[in-house]
Amino acid sequence: MDAPDLLQLLREKAEAVQVVVQEIPDLDAACRYTVDLTRSQGGATLAAPGWDPASLPVLQDLCGKAGIELLTENLRAQATRLHTGLTLADWGLAETGTLVLESSSEDRRLATMLTETHVAVLPVSRLQPEVGALEEELNRLMQSPPRYLAFITGASRTADIERVLTLGVHGPLELHLLLLKD
Amino acid sequence: MIQTAQDLKDYKKKLKHALKNKFLRQAMATFATAYPEGRARAFAGLDFEALRGEIARGKDETLPHLEELYAAFKEKAEAAGAMVYLAKTAREANEIIAGIAKDGGAQRIVKSKSMTAEETFLNDHLEEEGLEVVETDLGEWIIQLRREGPSHMVMPAIHLSRQEVAELFTQVTGEPQDPEDIGKLVKVARQELRRAFLEADMGISGANFAIADTGTLGIMTNEGNGRLVTTLPRIHVALVGLDKLVPDLKSALKILQVLPKNATGQVITSYVTWITGPTECKAAPSGFKDLHIVFLDNGRLALSRDPVFGEVLRCIRCGACANVCPVYSLVGGHNYGHVYIGAIGLILTYFYHGRKNDRAIVQNCLNCLACKAVCPAGINLPLLIKRVHGAILAEEGERPLKNRLLRRVLANRRLFHFLLRRASLAQKPLVQGKFIRHLPFFFGEEHEFRKLPAIVRTPLRDRWTEVMGKVDNPRLKVALFGGCLVDFVYPEQGEALARVLKAKQVHMDFPLEQSCCGLPAKCMGEMEVAKELALQNLKALDPTEYDHILVLCASCGSHIKGTYPLLLAQEPGVGVRVQQLAAKLMDFSSFMTEVLKVKPEEFLGGKGKAAYHAPCHLCRGLKVTQPPRQLLDVAGYEYVQAKNEEVCCGMGGTFSTDFPELSAELLKSKLDNVAATGAEILVTDCPGCVLQLRGGMEQRQDKIQVKHMAEAVAETWKEGKKEK
Repeated sequence: MDAPDLLQLLREKAEAVQVVVQEIPDLDAACRYTVDLTRSQGGATLAAPGWDPASLPVLQDLCGKAGIELLTENLRAQATRLHTGLTLADWGLAETGTLVLESSSEDRRLATMLTETHVAVLPVSRLQPEVGALEEELNRLMQSPPRYLAFITGASRTADIERVLTLGVHGPLELHLLLLKD
Repeated sequence: MIQTAQDLKDYKKKLKHALKNKFLRQAMATFATAYPEGRARAFAGLDFEALRGEIARGKDETLPHLEELYAAFKEKAEAAGAMVYLAKTAREANEIIAGIAKDGGAQRIVKSKSMTAEETFLNDHLEEEGLEVVETDLGEWIIQLRREGPSHMVMPAIHLSRQEVAELFTQVTGEPQDPEDIGKLVKVARQELRRAFLEADMGISGANFAIADTGTLGIMTNEGNGRLVTTLPRIHVALVGLDKLVPDLKSALKILQVLPKNATGQVITSYVTWITGPTECKAAPSGFKDLHIVFLDNGRLALSRDPVFGEVLRCIRCGACANVCPVYSLVGGHNYGHVYIGAIGLILTYFYHGRKNDRAIVQNCLNCLACKAVCPAGINLPLLIKRVHGAILAEEGERPLKNRLLRRVLANRRLFHFLLRRASLAQKPLVQGKFIRHLPFFFGEEHEFRKLPAIVRTPLRDRWTEVMGKVDNPRLKVALFGGCLVDFVYPEQGEALARVLKAKQVHMDFPLEQSCCGLPAKCMGEMEVAKELALQNLKALDPTEYDHILVLCASCGSHIKGTYPLLLAQEPGVGVRVQQLAAKLMDFSSFMTEVLKVKPEEFLGGKGKAAYHAPCHLCRGLKVTQPPRQLLDVAGYEYVQAKNEEVCCGMGGTFSTDFPELSAELLKSKLDNVAATGAEILVTDCPGCVLQLRGGMEQRQDKIQVKHMAEAVAETWKEGKKEK
């Protein structure tokens, strides 16, 4: 399967689990998208721990203008007031519509767990056909602990009440995937 | 708390009660229809048989080395900074965990779903120790609040209605909750449990994988609670069955590929978390988590060395064996397991929770093979259920009357056949046409859901020479394994077969030393009798004398082909002959379409609409699915597909007399589905199913004719007509 097909497959599989998928030209566009989304949802905070330093000033500027508080560290102290999490995914897996995030940093984990909305940016070059293609890489990471690796496929979901699918039980209610053409 | 019936009488009371629960019936029926569709979508484009073969092989290679894997895991995980423990018993595991809480000064505990913790009744223990435990999986939280056990391994609260949940949440929040707004009910859990997560000192999780190679835990969740349990509190304890050890990531990924698809029809769960060593945790004084991994033995190591039962440890806990079980879909998980639910539960209960909790529920198996067909680890669940039943009977000493009779009679062919002949005389006053008019007094009214057929005056074996006659220059030589029902109840099915085979110049023997195939003995847990009968039949039917061995009874066929080799595998020489017999065994439809290759012009054709019931032991036992449908078409019937064609009719051999209320319900669904097709005739390929279906049609005075495939085919056979 060539790259455009893989991208199409990822999109299909992600959309099948209610992920909102968008293509973006650069990281600044991701900042604009996330700030706009947060504002439209009435969110007061945006957590972006470890965000790309080159793009951080743009994010700070956009947040400032929108009246959104930008959080980049010590998220545990803000645990009850996290609205949006913005992260850069490490890999994508087309076959299952999955994002792989190296999440050993606690802040990175909390930004993807305690928020209402999670926006993940995936550089298209990091897309793999399926998990088998990442096996070596994942093994290498597991060989150097401590390590917390997360596969994320869609928003948090349950069907525990009468098997009715409901999004957003304990994790984010929405997952947005921004595909970065790099 | 979990109260599993300790005897059949109590169990039947519970089953009756469950059958009256309208919500449960509806919820289970909807799920039983939705699950196979979702599962098929999730596996689209993948080779399930190949995948399950790989999982089974992987597990079989691993299980003999659990101790080494444990040692390797411990070394890696401890090098990474975790503490690893091995608990021999459930109690020991609970004590270790309570000790970790005390040593760490933890009072408030949040827990994500763990069947292993259910197995050890961990919550009860921790609460007795004065600790507060909150389940955070929505379904688990609901049943914890209701003080119940799970009714499904993956969907623990599937037995509850939105009204029941709303009522419960109204009590929890002190505010009225709208049962129609499930989204809002879920929000209640989100808010209430978020607080618990943030305040907890300790999180307890299970694990789907423990990777020996790297000391990594793998956890699959949908709600995201597993991630919070392993992230927010400063202490993390994972309780893991030793059977969750896998050698490497590759093995784990293989299981990951299959588990969610088989469990819920999801391609993958929302979250899969891989934890190696204590990760960053700002709530901990050291800045890193306090990670403890407790492995549970509780009989697993011994099981892994058991030549017969060892394969239960292949289980990856997907719950699919419950999803497809016709009995589960009638009565729900609280009546179909103890802690572990479904087919695997009927087996594991004996080993993990004892004979008393298993002795009643283990009998509630149709042997329909639906669980075996769907098991992603290829566990022979139906056979192991019967073997557990046998083990319980042996331990309890005093066998039920029916077992004592079976042991005396069935293994002795002469006595058995003598009694059948006597019964045909004794039933005389009760017979009307082909049915027993009134059931003898010892059958209660719950047995009246179908009419039972009469035993014929002269069995097929006595008339064989006359029925088959002589075939000149035969092109093939075959033997018929008749089975008791064809021989003594429905000889016309054998006659129909003879008519067609004579016309096709096939010589067919009916070796007279053949006896009952032994399936009823297996189904009653009497494995020695089953083995004895297998040996007798093997002696009667020398496979080297024939081109094919034919069966009209799918159940006999599937038992001979599938179970004889397992029963006789250890016998020198015999094992070889069993394989030869199995290789030559063939059902009627396959023989007609694949060997005789009959063509439409050999039939009169112009027959009406025919529905088909796929016998469990044909479609799943012998794995024959296309030939019967093809044969109906060739023979000139208009085949109309009924809903749930491959779901059991409720016969299940002795099941239908042991659990008549359940059998009646399954039969009713079957007949309703057939009636909905507008068919004039219902065809099947097993005399056992004919007994059930025809008896049911007769009882409801329906006009739909029930026929064995051989009868249906012979009826429209041109040469057969000419002869008349």
